Amino acid sequence: MGAFETAKSCHAWQEEFVLACPVVPDADGTLFRQLTNGWVPCNILVGRDGTVLFSENEFDEAGYTKAIARLYEEPVRAPPEPTSSAIPRRGPSKAASVVILGAGAGGIVAAHHLRRKLPREHRVVVIDRSSEHLFASSLLWLMVGQRQIDQIRRPLGRLADQGIEFHQDEITEIDLDRRLVRTRSTTFNFDYLIISLGAQLAPDTVAGFDEMAYDLYGLEGCGRIRTALDAFTGGTIGVFVPSMPFKCPAAPYEAAFLVEAFCRKRGVRNNTAIHLFTPEHQPMPIAGPVVGEAIADVLHARGIHYHPLYTFKELRPDTRQIVASDGASERVDLLIGVPPHQAPEVVRSSGLLGVSGWIHVDPQTLRTEHDGVFAIGDITSIRLADGKMLPKAGVFAHAEAGVVANQIASEIRGRQSQASFDGKGYCWVELGDGKAGFASGRFYAEPAPQVRMFRPGRLWHWGKVGFEQWWLHHWF
Amino acid sequence: MKVLEDASRGVSEGARVALGELGLPVRGTDGVLIVFWKEK
Repeated sequence: MGAFETAKSCHAWQEEFVLACPVVPDADGTLFRQLTNGWVPCNILVGRDGTVLFSENEFDEAGYTKAIARLYEEPVRAPPEPTSSAIPRRGPSKAASVVILGAGAGGIVAAHHLRRKLPREHRVVVIDRSSEHLFASSLLWLMVGQRQIDQIRRPLGRLADQGIEFHQDEITEIDLDRRLVRTRSTTFNFDYLIISLGAQLAPDTVAGFDEMAYDLYGLEGCGRIRTALDAFTGGTIGVFVPSMPFKCPAAPYEAAFLVEAFCRKRGVRNNTAIHLFTPEHQPMPIAGPVVGEAIADVLHARGIHYHPLYTFKELRPDTRQIVASDGASERVDLLIGVPPHQAPEVVRSSGLLGVSGWIHVDPQTLRTEHDGVFAIGDITSIRLADGKMLPKAGVFAHAEAGVVANQIASEIRGRQSQASFDGKGYCWVELGDGKAGFASGRFYAEPAPQVRMFRPGRLWHWGKVGFEQWWLHHWF
Repeated sequence: MKVLEDASRGVSEGARVALGELGLPVRGTDGVLIVFWKEK
């Protein structure tokens, strides 16, 4: 079906690709209005029972392909109904255990707020597989040599100084019926559970990624990009996004800007081509057309080749090519990749995931459908008024953590909590040359998020540096 | 239908759509991928 002005493009598409699927006329736009939020492209996958399994505006071919594959898989086991022997949650008068899964932005903030609000008889427990907290926003600076590893991470053992129990361990099971979490070495019972495990990066789901691309979202990957850039003498650099969603909407664009500035400083810009491939229809779609256009203008001004609505097909490491579904290919000498994101395995097998593949939560309280179980940050899926999803970004995990901590602490003390997440957020957009842009938004606004972008400058870059320093010193 | 009440916001994952009532060819399928596109 086409946008309702014409069915011509769909018939041409059908002819060109020799498709057997029907083109359904929608001349008056009835179907378009009934099924979409007014944006194109729009892809909606509906299962045989009429349930909407996937709905997006970007052209996430990998996303709806995966959703189609799931149609033919066994249905996810629904969590069993609580039996009469299910362990009831302890009442507010008894010492409670609050278990927090993940020591990223959300987990750290939640732990601190809870520890400050609750008497010491109540346990605040944080579990993470890593012994260190990484300030991930600074990975981009590490990538271009503006940071060393030890400048952007802190030992999680320091949480003990503040009365927060930290356990470095791998979480193996979340048992919602028995209200416990299993790790490799032990078991934690909980009265309240905060799931802040973030998104698992899955570069192995893209054949050739590990051979040909550097992981923009990993500590090791950014270190390797740094080494590769130091040795780069000219050629083609690519930043590519194979699928949606990904956390930190600005990151691929910031990577392109920082790499471009780096090449200029190194004196190799004149013999370097820089490309950015993404399935998005504009930079940072969630921020709206004005912000998108502003970023696209900077890409153009810097001579960065921008490929929106890019339908990624495959990587060919032997010839160092990135290939689109229409067969177009580009040889790339240095490829920086945004790995596909998915919910961590332990959450996938917990019965907590919604049809989106993430945990659905109440937009204001961050509660799941399970009593006393909350989820915050990148692991969650929150739909906005315009049909898009709340972006995955640390700023939201930070704010959500405060709300959840307030709710849990109030409940434990037998009080009513008024804390509510309001959907406000902000982010910097690093531009290189010591400058950055800054955008702030009200993402719960109706009919669509309202985002304002401020004029870029050195002030915003130093603001981001200041935030980094505050973060690393305030929580540790 | 629930989804028609939210028409201006699009269909959310998890919502139910009666494709047959909307006149879409669904008989005998395991599912339907509906694609709205726009000519450049």
